[in-house]
Amino acid sequence: MTNTIQILSIEKTGKESSLQKEHNNKSIKIIDGYFFSTNLDDQKFTKISKLISNEVSQTILTKKNVDKVLSSYSNFNWVVEIKFLPGVTDNIATTVKEIIKDNLKSSFKSFELGSTKIILIKGRKEDITKISKNEANPLIQTIKIYPFKKYLNNFKKNQFKIEKVKLPKKKYSKKEINLDISDYHLSLIGKLGIEENDKSRRGTLGLDLESLKVIRNYFSTIKRKPTDVEIETLAQTWSEHCKHKIFSAKIDDIQEGIFKKYIKGATEKIIQLRKDNFCVSLFTDNAGGIEFNKDWIICHKVETHNTPSALDPFGGAITGIVGVNRDCLGFGKGAKPIANTYAYYLANPNKNYQLYRQKKNKDPMLPANFIAKGIISGVRVGGNCSGIPTPQGNVYFDDRFAGKPLVFCGTVGIIPKKIKGKPSHKKKANPGDIILMAGGRVGKDGIHGATFSSEELDPNSPVSAVQIGDPITQKKMSDVIIRELRDQNLYSSITDNGAGGLSSSIGEMAKESGGFIVNLEKVPLKYKGLYPWEIWISESQERMTLAVPPANVKKVIKKFNARSVEATIIGKFIKKEKAIVKYNKTQILNLDMEFLHEGYPKLNLKTSLPKIKKENKKIIKKSSLIDKLHKLLSSPNIVSKEFIATQYDHEVQATSIIKPLQGVGRVFGNATAIKPLFDDEKSIALSQAAYPQYAETNPYDMAGCSIDTAYKNLIVSGANSKKIAILDNFCWCSSDEPDRLHQLKEAARACYNYAVAYQTPFISGKDSMFNDFKGFNKTGNSVKISIPPTLLISSIGVVDKISHLTKITPDDGDILLILGKTFNELEDSVYSKIIGHQKSKNPVVNSKDALQTYKNFEKANKLGIINSAIGIDLGGLGIAITKMAIASKKGLTINLKLKDKISVDQFLFSETQSRILVSIKKNHFTDFKKLFYNSNYEIIGECTGADVIEFKDSKKIIRGKISDFAKSYKQNIKGL
Amino acid sequence: MNVLVLSGYGINCENETLHAFEVVGFNGKIVHINDLLQNPKQLNNYQVFAIPGGFSYGDDTGSGNAMAKKIMTNLYDQLIDFTLKNKLIIGICNGCQILINLGLVPNVNKKDPEVAMIENKSGNYECRWVLLKVTNDKSPWLKNISTLNLPVAHQEGQFMIPQNLLKNIKTKNLIGLQYMESNKKLAKGKFPFNPNGSKYDIAALTNQNGNVLAMMPHPERAFYHYQIPNWQNNSSKKFADGYKIFMNAKKFFA
Repeated sequence: MTNTIQILSIEKTGKESSLQKEHNNKSIKIIDGYFFSTNLDDQKFTKISKLISNEVSQTILTKKNVDKVLSSYSNFNWVVEIKFLPGVTDNIATTVKEIIKDNLKSSFKSFELGSTKIILIKGRKEDITKISKNEANPLIQTIKIYPFKKYLNNFKKNQFKIEKVKLPKKKYSKKEINLDISDYHLSLIGKLGIEENDKSRRGTLGLDLESLKVIRNYFSTIKRKPTDVEIETLAQTWSEHCKHKIFSAKIDDIQEGIFKKYIKGATEKIIQLRKDNFCVSLFTDNAGGIEFNKDWIICHKVETHNTPSALDPFGGAITGIVGVNRDCLGFGKGAKPIANTYAYYLANPNKNYQLYRQKKNKDPMLPANFIAKGIISGVRVGGNCSGIPTPQGNVYFDDRFAGKPLVFCGTVGIIPKKIKGKPSHKKKANPGDIILMAGGRVGKDGIHGATFSSEELDPNSPVSAVQIGDPITQKKMSDVIIRELRDQNLYSSITDNGAGGLSSSIGEMAKESGGFIVNLEKVPLKYKGLYPWEIWISESQERMTLAVPPANVKKVIKKFNARSVEATIIGKFIKKEKAIVKYNKTQILNLDMEFLHEGYPKLNLKTSLPKIKKENKKIIKKSSLIDKLHKLLSSPNIVSKEFIATQYDHEVQATSIIKPLQGVGRVFGNATAIKPLFDDEKSIALSQAAYPQYAETNPYDMAGCSIDTAYKNLIVSGANSKKIAILDNFCWCSSDEPDRLHQLKEAARACYNYAVAYQTPFISGKDSMFNDFKGFNKTGNSVKISIPPTLLISSIGVVDKISHLTKITPDDGDILLILGKTFNELEDSVYSKIIGHQKSKNPVVNSKDALQTYKNFEKANKLGIINSAIGIDLGGLGIAITKMAIASKKGLTINLKLKDKISVDQFLFSETQSRILVSIKKNHFTDFKKLFYNSNYEIIGECTGADVIEFKDSKKIIRGKISDFAKSYKQNIKGL
Repeated sequence: MNVLVLSGYGINCENETLHAFEVVGFNGKIVHINDLLQNPKQLNNYQVFAIPGGFSYGDDTGSGNAMAKKIMTNLYDQLIDFTLKNKLIIGICNGCQILINLGLVPNVNKKDPEVAMIENKSGNYECRWVLLKVTNDKSPWLKNISTLNLPVAHQEGQFMIPQNLLKNIKTKNLIGLQYMESNKKLAKGKFPFNPNGSKYDIAALTNQNGNVLAMMPHPERAFYHYQIPNWQNNSSKKFADGYKIFMNAKKFFA
């Protein structure tokens, strides 16, 4: 009899090798363990072991062989046992359960099991502790370290346990909350949560005193006390995360708020100016939609998952990506996800910041490299397992992300314009429609996610706010919706369960019909014992909410079930504008829809001009041009991100047409393209840009640069300038401080001006306003680390023909030209950070000149005059030149006899915007000149095809070997 | 000519796989594993059975294992029958891992499974393009092809083959594809030409008849010329290398 199955690989696995490398070549072995809630007899043990292991490559440990097998690898002396905390999603365990259920059917019914990773090492206790820190997260996993002998003993004596979720002892009874209390006690409810009978608190509601007073007034008017569920629901619905109160608030003299004036306002203005509106769905739905061709719409949405990723990088990132996939599934009647995008803003992974959430070195922030690795692999697993290509992304490093990483996850979706003759982007839950929840079950995971992501990260951040994704469950659900339900028009509306869970998805959808009645006891649970308020706001993943006409319900449920997906009736939509929730017939929530959605107190914000904080500037050491190029190429923000591109499947769906790694020399591109339909040559080009490094100097110009770069990259890739849309993701800090709000207002104002100038509409956006860390350093002093204001602009554009798609590789004999004028704009550049600072200005976008360049470029490209092109961004022209040479493995000669009053370093490394490096065939030059007569360009050299880049001025020639540049550019990032 | 393309539980390349078969002239259908298990007889209507790439069961308990175990419950005999009737089976990537776990390939001792798919030596997921040598050009799938340029995308692409079986596989000519460093030279285990560290640079295996092919690279992703990296540099034929494999299936029945 035994209660555990433990399996190890006969040969050393890739994982074991890399662990060994990281830990001074100590002998390491990893065991996959499964702990059962019941004892297995020999027959079951043999059967199940065989089902979940591989005879050829693995050994199953038994009491008889364990000593011999393990000693054949090494004399291990320490062990760490890592397993998920009770209630945390354990995907492997779910799969094993299914295998057992499928194959052993009746003979083995009720049991629980948990998966475990057991790592053995020959080394000291410090070694195993170090491994455990790199391999496990105490927030979601239990970590047990003990001597190897004890492990053997546990194994032989069946002393492994699985832990279950602690169930509340008491049955639920309706709980009413007294709000007629002092301001102090009222604010405690907001900050720490509702008090339980045992005086413990449920966790932050994120409600300020004013909001709580509004709630108190509402209930005193209707003459009753609120229930706990009502307060929890209002907290979710009114959270910054859901309502975007700062963006909608009156700010200084802007009555309508910056979202309406600057973001939505820009789009409205553009639609009014342009006759050819290609926007289909703006701001209101889960994603923004534009026309792709006459039969199809594409949509795009970018989300952030910063706080969850700070606490559990892998879980935060994977739920970030699969979560934004659901935004596409919830666009209109359901768009199929066809591409993922990512952008990570991280601290230096090679640095030990030693930050703590509490005094006396307690509750440490996770190490920067753990965060970086976890985030990168979270998106990998989420994207790859879902069969959605992830071609487009970038990573940026700055110390100011040490307290909070930024994780942007985006998805592009596609949907036919019409479904059964009706516009697919329109949906409406009708009174009488059944509320159906489909997909995963509900557990305690993700409780209070919406309210806490709206707050700063501090010791009271709730741990249950973390979730782990289960991409396979979501993939199964997604396949049913897209392939078997949507085109039959079997439901009237659909949305995803994200922040705020059911309370939010049903609350939002009910706006379409009027109101809703939900019976919470019907919701399928992962385990017993959840309180109604927990069921209502849980952010368990992989769930969609559908509004289904009663006549179709049976059919819809049957279709889900046939694909092993659960779907459950949990209520209905009604006409009356009431939000009603029952639990076993007891009414626990009854609010007016108007109050639920619009009752929150509106903010009235004031801004003030920030004082610019100047950092200590590095002084330039004299070094050669070639040396400077190497330094810049190998700096973390320029160095190739190939190691991410190769672990993210960008080929699945067979749509990749411009890949993340470009040219035979594999340069990490700043735009990519997919061709989503087999029968149309139209493609979708994607790019993105953010310049947090420019923000403190001038947030207006920072935003201008982001829009310009994101737009330019698509023009350079060959997109039709009339079919480019953009998305805004503001990640700000301390948004209750007037100077930060001033920066926000300035950035938003630039968004309006540049979007309108470029006539590129915003179609969707999201904001995250409090990316600050408040805690302590290793000496116990309190510290606050705020991210630099970061505005990510994502761009999506349609490329009309395959022949319009450009490449970044010139051919022998090509003339090299720079389009756009270069200014001395080295302020905040990579050069000023890595090489040294000199008196200079920050980059400012001149939209008129830029547009002239882009217009000419587009024309020239369509005429076939452009042979290769690369948008100039970080590191300036010098880096663009080297990238071209590395990508093509072809030498270039660059002429540095400069006409303008500008130094060589300024010319090569200034980050002046709106510039493109292009190459054209010599015989196209006459045509080129004609086209570009009205815009600024300069011939800077030619493509020689040699193995060096030559920089010539009147006195000398400096050469650098391409293979050496490639080496610098492809260096590993330290710590990753 | 009919092809059944399998789907479900995280398989995710069924659309592009079906498309490739359709373009060369097959009639095809994507069938969910649950439907197939309920009615295994429907396989009789098909000449080709394709298991596409993907992440069935998220690779939990080893890539391809859980799906293979599911197929075992009610479909194994049908598949054996299928191979004996000289029909064609292809498993691509996750499909390859499933076929290996089912023991349908290499199927030397008729015992399941004989080979294991293990994690890439790098420990990383590898999505990259590789050069391949066609070693078993007797297989109907690989006839008259000498080299291929195709992408791989996998975490567990390393073929682990016990020593004596490997000898057997070599003498019986069951190695379908091998990774190459250049058009003339095998990769000899060198990364990234051999992306996963497979012994003898093995990228695909066949059964003894050659009608069952288990391959890690993705031919359906290299079907049109514009899917090849840097296609702009090359003269544009309409199709890329993957096309040849699907055409071979068509020729086999023509």
